[in-house]
This record gives sequence, structure tokens and C-alpha cells, in this order.
Amino acid sequence: MSTEDDHSRSHIYVWDLPLRIVHWSLAASIVVAWLSAVVFDSLHRQAGYIAIALVAFRIIWGFAGSDSARFSRLTFLLPNAIRFLRRLMRGRTGGYVGLNPAGAVMLVASLSLTLISGVSGWMQITVRFFGVAWVQVLHTWSSYALLALAGLHILGVAMVSIMQRQNLVVAMFTGKKKRRHPGHTYRSGKTSGTYRDAARQNN
Amino acid sequence: MKIAMPLALISGFSLALSGACFADGFKDCTKLEKSKWKPASEAEAKASAAGYGVRRSKVEGTCYEVYGVKEGKLFELFYSPEDLTLKHTIKK
Repeated sequence: MSTEDDHSRSHIYVWDLPLRIVHWSLAASIVVAWLSAVVFDSLHRQAGYIAIALVAFRIIWGFAGSDSARFSRLTFLLPNAIRFLRRLMRGRTGGYVGLNPAGAVMLVASLSLTLISGVSGWMQITVRFFGVAWVQVLHTWSSYALLALAGLHILGVAMVSIMQRQNLVVAMFTGKKKRRHPGHTYRSGKTSGTYRDAARQNN
Repeated sequence: MKIAMPLALISGFSLALSGACFADGFKDCTKLEKSKWKPASEAEAKASAAGYGVRRSKVEGTCYEVYGVKEGKLFELFYSPEDLTLKHTIKK
């Protein structure tokens, strides 16, 4: 058996390249926007425009991307978020190959907040909405909420990384996650939805 | 954990930098106590007289910040509530 076979047995390709690029570019643009707020106005704007564009692309990719990037998965993942978090507290991370249900909530919330923050920030420098109080308030609080969410996201990823004994940050660079059950043949049928999802990704 | 160290470094650095950022906004115009300030409407009137379309004003630190539009361009004007002198102008 070649080492390549070994690798594909132990790892599964989850995050496609455009998704990874969008993820890290968005993270970078949000950090830049955060640090440049108030002081470096033009840099702050550029970061905001880039963030809006990245979210727009991510939304398109939610319909055109590979399985783990698709929004169609959300209808299955989102309703399970509370149950997932309860199980997580008992030490179970579930058999999710792409996003887990908490990650799905994070995706929807962070994309929405980035869009709200970006658009309200852009509105502030239009003649129509310049100085309008509710636009300022919306921009400020959606931005703070986004930062809080980013902190929660980092904590969540660290937590699941420890529990699953794999570095999920590295996985977002390479696109590959460790198989949780090496050699397991993912079958559709009586197994849970998560395994069915896994099967789809395996093909 | 391999990621703990870089994470700690990044968040520490970011916090320090953002703290420096927030301290930098313009907000010191007067030492006069607030009860002796001239009304904000006078700062707005002054901006109007200077040719700005006034959108709104608010208290920013010890300044009146007036949002003004002139020839399609956006300005933040900072007036001292003590004597209504223009202390600072930011072109957006």
C-alpha cells in the first residue's frame, strides 16, 4: 500500500480552496478593520469593502461550492445546534465531517453581522446617511458583536480541536481533516445523517 | 497546544493596539464644567453660517461634534462648548 493510500485512509478532504481563501481573507479583513477603526480611516474603509465582497462571494459559494461549503446543509445542521451543544458538554463532538451544528450557527451569524457591519459602515460615509444616529449605532454594535462572535469561534475551534485530538486550524489551511474512524466505510442507510453526509463527501 | 502561543500573542498585541487606537479620537475641547457650556444649537448655527449643511450634532468628550455636508463632501467639525471656536475638522 502506498503512503498516498495511507493518507487518504486517515484524512478526508473537507474544505475546498475558495472556501479556505475566503475564510482567512475575511478573518484578516475583520482584524484589519478592527485595528484601523477611528485612526486609519481609509484603511478601515478598504477592509470593510473587501469584507463585503468576500461575504458576497461566500453567499454565492454557498450555492455553487463543494458539499461542505453549501448552505443546503444548514437546514439539517441549524435545528440541531442546541442538542449538539448539550452533547458537547458531555464530551461528544459527533461525527460531523464539515461544519458541526454550532459551526453552522456561527457561519450564519458571522456572515450576517459582517454584512450588517460592512453595509452600515459604508452608509455612514454616504451623503444620505452621514451623521444619522441609528446607522452609527448599528455599525458600532454589529461590529462589537462580530468581534465577540470571532472570539467565541476561536474558543469553539480550540475546544473541539482538543476533544478530537486534531488541529482544526491547520485543517482550515490544508482543507483536510483527520478521519475520526479510520477504515470506516461510510454507508448510507441505517446510520445517522452525519454519516450519510460523510459518504457524500467520500465519493 | 501548538496554537495557544500564537493565539495569545495575537490577542495580546491586538488588544494593546486597539487600546492605543481608541485613545486617539478627537475629544478634548475645553476644561469648562458642563453646566456652563453654550448650547449645542449655537455650534450647529456656526457650522451653518460657515456653509455646511448640518446633519446632526452630538457631544464627543468635551466637544460638540457637528456633522456637516459641504459641496457633497462630508465633514466632522469639533467645536469648543466654551467659546464655540472650531478646534478640529475631519474630512470623511
